[in-house]
Amino acid sequence: MAAVTLKNVIKRFGVFEIVHGANIDIDDGEFVVFVGPSGCGKSTLLRMIAGLEDISDGEIAIGGKVVNDVEAADRGIAMVFQSYALYPHMTVEQNLSFGLRMTGNPKADTERRVKRASEILRIAELMKRRPRQLSGGQRQRVAIGRAIVREPQVFLFDEPLSNLDAELRVQMRVEISRLHKELGVTMVYVTHDQTEAMTLADRIVVLNAGNIEQIGAPLDLYDDPANRFVAGFVGSPKMNFLAAKVVGTDNSAAIVELVNHRGVRLRKPLSDALPAIGGDVVVGVRPEHFFDAGQGDCDLTLKADVAEHLGSVSYVYANSGTGGGREELIIEREASRHRANGDDLVVSIKADRSLLFDATGARIR
Amino acid sequence: MTSRSPISHSRVSRSQARLGRSIALHLFLTPLALVWLFPLWMMVVFSTMPDNGIFSPDIELLPHGNFLDNVSNLQRGTNFIGAIGISVSVAVTYTFLSVMLTSMAGWALARYNFFGKGMVVAIIFGTITLPYAVVLIPQFIMVARDFKLANTWVALIVPPLFNSLGVLFMRQSFSMMPHELFDAAKVEGVKEWRIFLFVALPLARPMLAALAIILFLASWNNYLWPLLINSKPGAMTAPVALGTLIGLTKVSWGGIMAGAVMLTAPMLVVFVLLQRHFVAGIAAGAIK
Amino acid sequence: MRYQNATAYRFLAPYLLIFSIFWLWPIIDSFLISFQATRTVPWRFAPTFNWGRLIGDPAFFNALKNTLLILVIQVPVMISLAIVMAVLLNSPLLKARGLFRFAFFAPVVVGEVAYSAVFRLMFNLDYGIINKLLNSIGLPSVDWFTNVTPAMAVIMMAVTWRWAGYNAIILLAGLQSIPEDVYEAATLDRVSKVKQFFYITLPLLKPIIVFCAVLSIIGTMQLFTEPFLITERGGPGGGTETLGLLLYRQGFRSLNFGYASAIAYTMAGLAIAISLVQIWLTREPK
Repeated sequence: MAAVTLKNVIKRFGVFEIVHGANIDIDDGEFVVFVGPSGCGKSTLLRMIAGLEDISDGEIAIGGKVVNDVEAADRGIAMVFQSYALYPHMTVEQNLSFGLRMTGNPKADTERRVKRASEILRIAELMKRRPRQLSGGQRQRVAIGRAIVREPQVFLFDEPLSNLDAELRVQMRVEISRLHKELGVTMVYVTHDQTEAMTLADRIVVLNAGNIEQIGAPLDLYDDPANRFVAGFVGSPKMNFLAAKVVGTDNSAAIVELVNHRGVRLRKPLSDALPAIGGDVVVGVRPEHFFDAGQGDCDLTLKADVAEHLGSVSYVYANSGTGGGREELIIEREASRHRANGDDLVVSIKADRSLLFDATGARIR
Repeated sequence: MTSRSPISHSRVSRSQARLGRSIALHLFLTPLALVWLFPLWMMVVFSTMPDNGIFSPDIELLPHGNFLDNVSNLQRGTNFIGAIGISVSVAVTYTFLSVMLTSMAGWALARYNFFGKGMVVAIIFGTITLPYAVVLIPQFIMVARDFKLANTWVALIVPPLFNSLGVLFMRQSFSMMPHELFDAAKVEGVKEWRIFLFVALPLARPMLAALAIILFLASWNNYLWPLLINSKPGAMTAPVALGTLIGLTKVSWGGIMAGAVMLTAPMLVVFVLLQRHFVAGIAAGAIK
Repeated sequence: MRYQNATAYRFLAPYLLIFSIFWLWPIIDSFLISFQATRTVPWRFAPTFNWGRLIGDPAFFNALKNTLLILVIQVPVMISLAIVMAVLLNSPLLKARGLFRFAFFAPVVVGEVAYSAVFRLMFNLDYGIINKLLNSIGLPSVDWFTNVTPAMAVIMMAVTWRWAGYNAIILLAGLQSIPEDVYEAATLDRVSKVKQFFYITLPLLKPIIVFCAVLSIIGTMQLFTEPFLITERGGPGGGTETLGLLLYRQGFRSLNFGYASAIAYTMAGLAIAISLVQIWLTREPK
């Protein structure tokens, strides 16, 4: 049993509150990713679980046992750091065994654990080298190996891939996924990169300014974000937000006018209470949810500025032209040798492929 | 540089300008360097001349062969070899103790938050520019009268350990190391004193070397405190022993110069061999 | 924040103990002693005994005057020289850099006693190499140690020789921390090398120059060994007597601890004033 439970966890630095009461239940064996922009409190939260930061208020339990006053070393966790934190003056082997040697673990057992870790990570041939003789990816493996050697109940990762180049990052991402399946232990992973979060996590915790915005499976966050922040943060390129005004309601639908698009109207069926007429709202449309003219519920006429051709798809950066205020949109099109500059572009959006948010950013369902 | 090769006119004038500047630079710096080396050179020359050579009207600028005679003349005036023995032992012990004490303190200040930290930092670094002269009298009264430690090794070694340069330097060094290294060890259950001993100190080796050299030099050359506290013959350090001879009328100047060379030459060798650490140690004084 | 009092103080304790006994307490004690009459046992509290004597003591004012005179002349000369040394040693055009560095930095390792002895011998009236060299180019000998002005000059030359390289090391480290691209940008803007020195190097180096100046002032203020050994206990006739020497004489020859402490605290007062000037000079512009 190594579930991790956070109950009303608060972190203050002096008078500043960094984390405002976090409640998270992580199941045994689950892979949970904390994601959010820098300064959102995700690393602080992780360091509190690790025992490297005090908990100002609330409770953290690991494996059913409250660990608020338990030393980092006795929490049954292992941590992989952003900078890898390898001891530069020790060989790989010494790096792996350092903690065990220093805490009086029997020698034979230490050797067994180091051997096992080196096999899992395929670093056996690097054992006599020092960190500076390793590539970034190799260092990363050793850092993970040092965590494996502890045979922890919970692995903690603090932005472990942010120092790697793009290609290696993808490779290590797969590696970490494989490791999770192999070891089957709980992993808590912090990143600012939503792609990493989407690809690795069983569940994602989205944090913003010390608040938990939403907790959910990757595709749930993508399909059904709780608010504008999550909608904007999950998905790449970002969701487009179109300014709108509620101009009318009929039974269980709101009729909104896209104020920057020559007053085009969209009828959005809703299940909750309907918004007040005259209120400002925002319509969110993902780049991949624009359709050809006439295919959706309403058409938008845009001016294309720039097109990025990625091969399989193209992203067209367009603006709303003179149809009100100027609004910038990103639209995914099938790969075409679209000539972009100043072309007119008519696209269509669908009510069931768009989201509605009120002025505070809360979702209107 | 000639203009044989087909290069443009501006390139020629530029390299000529560089050459001109280079010549001017060396024409200015070479005499200055010779002037600066002159006292050291003369120290060596004097140390190899008999006294009647030093006090002759001739200009002598080259070494002679009388060094060993001068050393034995010196040894007749004062037990200089013994004094050097004291100086070496004191400097080695002092350096070791000071490096340990100040790097422990620097570590505490760099790594931990604790009650009174602000005050400790303020007091240590706020008093760092006070002149040493201020504490001289109470230190002397305490060590000589209250502790009755005059003319002992303890008196030479322990009081100068207050020097806070090392605390400043090591605090700076430790806080520049990535703290994740220490967090990693902590998560692994390594005790703090072991983290200090087996992670922090090995990583700080170049800084420790710089600090040790500066402290050794300070102790080796220290004059005023040993002069006051260990003035008994047989308890004197080498600089004090040599200082007692200067100004006496019946004294061998060749011997004094031989002593000066014996004090200086080892340090010059160390300086040449470890110049990088030396320079780092001195320059670190400027990093606040 | 996590407080780790026990661990932290275990690391700090040995140093703090020594620091308190041999530095902190003496600073306070020295202040207290300066208010006591210490000529007779038991000492008694007499607030004006030493300080009153100090403000009427011609020997004190002579020492103060000499110390300030050395400060005012020697420190600026030495710092300027150190800046020149540092800038030229940093020049990419310089050949045999190691030799030049050795020449200028070597005095840093020479002990006060050793170099005092050498300077004393070099400036000897009849047999000193300096006078011999002066004679050889047709100049008369200078009686360095029996007149005040040349004696002062010898002291200043000796101190400058010993410490210019030390300051140059610090300044050179400062120079090397100035990013190269600042100069490249200036060169592209057609700013001459000389103007680069005055408008880029000096302003960027200012905090370090001020630091060196303060360090040198506080060091020179305590000047002791050179007038003690080179000019024979502050001779001629007290002409090179410094505050450091007066303190030594009063404290350890006359064993007049109270008066010596008052002299020491005068030096401390000067040091504090100079440190405040440093803080003011290097404050961040608003």
